[in-house]
Amino acid sequence: MKTEEQRHSQLELCIPYVFGRLNPGNRKQFEAHLETGCEQCKRELSELYEAIALLPLLLKQEAPPSGLRQRILSRLSSKRSEPPRAAKPIPQRGVVEASVTKAPPRSWYLYASIVMGVLLIISLLFFLNDQLRTTGELEKKLTDLQAQIQEKQDILGILQVQKVEILQLANMDAGSQAFGRVFWEPEKRHAVVQVVNLIAEPADKQYQLWLVKEKKYLRVGEFDVNKEKSNVFAVMTLPVGERQEIEGFAITLEPRGGSTQPSGAIQLRGATK
Amino acid sequence: MQQNALAQRQQCDREDADLLKRIQRSDQRALATLYDRYAPVFYPFALRITGSHEVAEEVVHDVFVQVWEKGNSYATQNGSVYAWLAALSRMKALEKVRTSNQKKKGSDGEALQPRAPLENEEKQGGQETILVFKGYAEEVRNMLKNLSKLELRLLELSYYEGQSQSDLARMLRIPLGTIKAKMRRGIQKLRQAPAQEGKRP
Repeated sequence: MKTEEQRHSQLELCIPYVFGRLNPGNRKQFEAHLETGCEQCKRELSELYEAIALLPLLLKQEAPPSGLRQRILSRLSSKRSEPPRAAKPIPQRGVVEASVTKAPPRSWYLYASIVMGVLLIISLLFFLNDQLRTTGELEKKLTDLQAQIQEKQDILGILQVQKVEILQLANMDAGSQAFGRVFWEPEKRHAVVQVVNLIAEPADKQYQLWLVKEKKYLRVGEFDVNKEKSNVFAVMTLPVGERQEIEGFAITLEPRGGSTQPSGAIQLRGATK
Repeated sequence: MQQNALAQRQQCDREDADLLKRIQRSDQRALATLYDRYAPVFYPFALRITGSHEVAEEVVHDVFVQVWEKGNSYATQNGSVYAWLAALSRMKALEKVRTSNQKKKGSDGEALQPRAPLENEEKQGGQETILVFKGYAEEVRNMLKNLSKLELRLLELSYYEGQSQSDLARMLRIPLGTIKAKMRRGIQKLRQAPAQEGKRP
């Protein structure tokens, strides 16, 4: 029988799975788990697929070009012979050339006007492209700022509740200045991990927070530390919340995307007892 | 209103399940009906991901041919038939984008780019004629007003552009844990949709 933590760990994989973003190892492991017939995960997946499939309903509906339906149905009728798909009609070069040949001679100012027109259109396209890029950059900056505000609000939200548990994390390397803290709200299991002076991780790695319970390491979540910030906060959800159930926390450096068990050396650690 | 919308969606789901069974028995009219119902949803959806009318047409083509050829691969864990079709369309459209990006690396050609929604086209509903799930789609739009801008943006970036949570954390320079929490919260809100409520035990 699966423990609550194992179930939590599998359910955590459902969201990246439906978005097609599990790494091959985790995906294989998760699909093997599904083959064991876990009804809870199957139900979760079904609900998640259903939920994200609502997003296309926000778009304006538009029928595809009328020929497509017939093309698909023709393909079904002749499916066994597997003919190549009907190519989209392309302009017949011979026809174009013939019409050019037959055209009456043009005066030079007509050709000059056409060239001027083309140059004008090209300049206009460059101008529009530039404007669109600027708008896109501003939109990205705005999203960035909104994300930062939201993050701060989340952190404050956790720190402001009446009952918050705190655990200090000490570094395991005598030469390092790094330290950290975990703040968490036992009831809702929301947590904020703060790390200070941890070195920036390489591009293919990520720091990962673990919760220690009954001498086992339970996956909590991954976060990044970059060179620009020495003081990093990350919001996470714990598998269990009550202090008496938690023996401690640890932070390791893992392959990007996280691991199911710690594989790197422990960077920071703290024990509740 | 909400009850009518829910009833409409549930009726569609039942009909779709029946259509799929007929498709599995090689009934072409069933596939044509399914196409007429959903091509107007998945064509603009594929267009949103690929940014190309021609490629969006290919995506819809490939999806319905796959439904015909591999209709048996549908499993209840994929959600409703509509949700399954949405997942297939998304996967095929993202594959086309990835292939185009790889080709672009070896040439000067332009890669496919997601198409930004036109003003009033998305979220607001615009003035379009809704062809399928009319009342239900309106309910969904109203319900999605509960999502914060950031929650919706994160879901859109993941869904339409295939960005991983780590990519988003790097791109937006916010901790991965926050991204995960926001996406989880956004999805939780999506799950409040009437049909989802009805499916819960």
